[in-house]
Amino acid sequence: MKNLDNKLYSALLYMTLSIGLIFSIIASISLGAVRLDFNDVWKIIANKMFLNNIFQNTWNISTENIVWNLRFPRTILAIIAGSGLSICGIMMQALTKNPLANPYILGISSGASTGAVMVIIFGGSRLFALQSVSFGAFIGALFTSLLVFVLARKNGVFSSTRLVLTGVSVAALFSSITSFLIFTAKEVSKVREALFWMTGSLAGAKWDRLLWPALWLLVCYLFLIIFSRGLNSLLLGEGAATTLGVNTKFFKNAILFLGSILTGFVVSMTGVIGFVGLIVPHISRTLVGSDHRKVAALSIFIGPILLIWADVLARILARPEEIPIGIITAFLGSPFFIWLIRKSSYSFGGKDG
Amino acid sequence: MAKLEVCDLGFSIENKRILDNINLCIEENKFVGLIGPNGCGKSTLLKNIYRIYKPHVGAVYLNKVDIGKIRSKEVAKNMSVVFQENNHQFEFTVKEIVLMGRYAHKGILDNNTKQDEEMALRSLEKVGLKDFYNRSFLSLSGGEKQRVLVARALTQNAKMIILDEPTNHLDIRYQLEIMDIISDLQVTAFAAIHDFNIASNYCDYLYVMEEGKIKYHGETKEILTSQMFEEVFGVKSYVFKNPFTNKIQISFYSKSSDK
Repeated sequence: MKNLDNKLYSALLYMTLSIGLIFSIIASISLGAVRLDFNDVWKIIANKMFLNNIFQNTWNISTENIVWNLRFPRTILAIIAGSGLSICGIMMQALTKNPLANPYILGISSGASTGAVMVIIFGGSRLFALQSVSFGAFIGALFTSLLVFVLARKNGVFSSTRLVLTGVSVAALFSSITSFLIFTAKEVSKVREALFWMTGSLAGAKWDRLLWPALWLLVCYLFLIIFSRGLNSLLLGEGAATTLGVNTKFFKNAILFLGSILTGFVVSMTGVIGFVGLIVPHISRTLVGSDHRKVAALSIFIGPILLIWADVLARILARPEEIPIGIITAFLGSPFFIWLIRKSSYSFGGKDG
Repeated sequence: MAKLEVCDLGFSIENKRILDNINLCIEENKFVGLIGPNGCGKSTLLKNIYRIYKPHVGAVYLNKVDIGKIRSKEVAKNMSVVFQENNHQFEFTVKEIVLMGRYAHKGILDNNTKQDEEMALRSLEKVGLKDFYNRSFLSLSGGEKQRVLVARALTQNAKMIILDEPTNHLDIRYQLEIMDIISDLQVTAFAAIHDFNIASNYCDYLYVMEEGKIKYHGETKEILTSQMFEEVFGVKSYVFKNPFTNKIQISFYSKSSDK
């Protein structure tokens, strides 16, 4: 009986979320500086996706352009970034056994910011600006995670606490470099650009830049699903996991490797979007418990839906200007999260007393 | 069957020798205890055996196989461990925790089968927590948590079981029950024990540690003597045979009452 209830519950949950996600995708493409007809939107997407003309072409070419070349890739980027940050959050929480961990806990975001801000301020030609900024961010992210990884090791092993503390210190170091660069910058427009980047935006979405991050995301997702048992035990602590037969060294190295690169990809495309990677894993856990298989599956719905709507708000709240999406995720995310913490029976790491 | 041997094991932390030339042989189906004062290296020795630490010198053999040289899963199939786990931060149900004991027996894509679940239920029944199957682990009391961890070790279904002071904060009733459960299993047990009367009741054989070395070892009744307690633990004691159980019983008294 209990089992049946559980099955019904997850079926309903996933059905609701799938419908929610599809609705969010189409709505997010219709809404924006120019409002488009809902009907046109899904027909254009259907035509493009299946590479033949299922529906009669009743819209003009500029609509098709906005849908297919501007807004749809942007929504796909929201999906990749939303699930990417959530998956990274799950990984970092498993690595550190700390419910407060987020994708940026190893200082990756600070390193990426430094890289990106360097390119923006000393940057080369405007023509390749976007590509080179994200390249700078990616290099910065990888450099930082490598640095943390090397510094946190002692006698060939690294403890979670040392990893987190090293990450915090390295992050502080890079933040100070970034602040220095911004304060000493000569051009005001570049300062604004740097700040905008640091708070995150999905505006840079382009079809040809989505493939590798999407593939990497898939690899990370499969890792969580395939190795969910080991990861679950890892949440009990390394000692317990070892005695249960988990090769903790493999797991920690794999998480560091997969997670840093995934964070690097996401940050290089979107800048630093806060809070999503912290709250989505917790929202998922309140719904299905801590099993990684379920948490990961749920998070790749919840993360994207959250980010898609945050992006819609970012686009329409101050039309025709755009607000950095990180402002929205934090401004709406934190009250929601606080509400969740207060009302839920889920304990978010340890019971009181 | 399971036989555990420790050969010439040495271990240091930051150049300080914590364990020196440790040799142990735990015979099949015996219940063997490890006693010694605080800081003598008991826990460090056990951690070397259950692979939280890696010995710097010597090796640990389980059924003649060096456990440092085989996969974690192979070790876990043959050896389960109960110790104090205090750092659980994430919500799991009791069922999920107990089923983690099946990890070593599963391929990466295998799901838990009906047999696994039945096994988990039986183990919980043995520790008296059958009705806790769907409860949240974090909501349990310290003693209940510890019993769930014993159930997890039972579900692991290994022939060797290591107990690292697992009953410390349990009520006397559960201390005895857990020791009863483990001595009734057809397994080899090696346990660090604080309470000498419990050691006397359950252990076939005892190792006594002092300052990182094995000081004495032998049959339980030969080891538990007032001379040993005075020498190793620095306490006065009266050791006698309990007429009801025929086991050795120890009563300690302070130096001031010694006339």
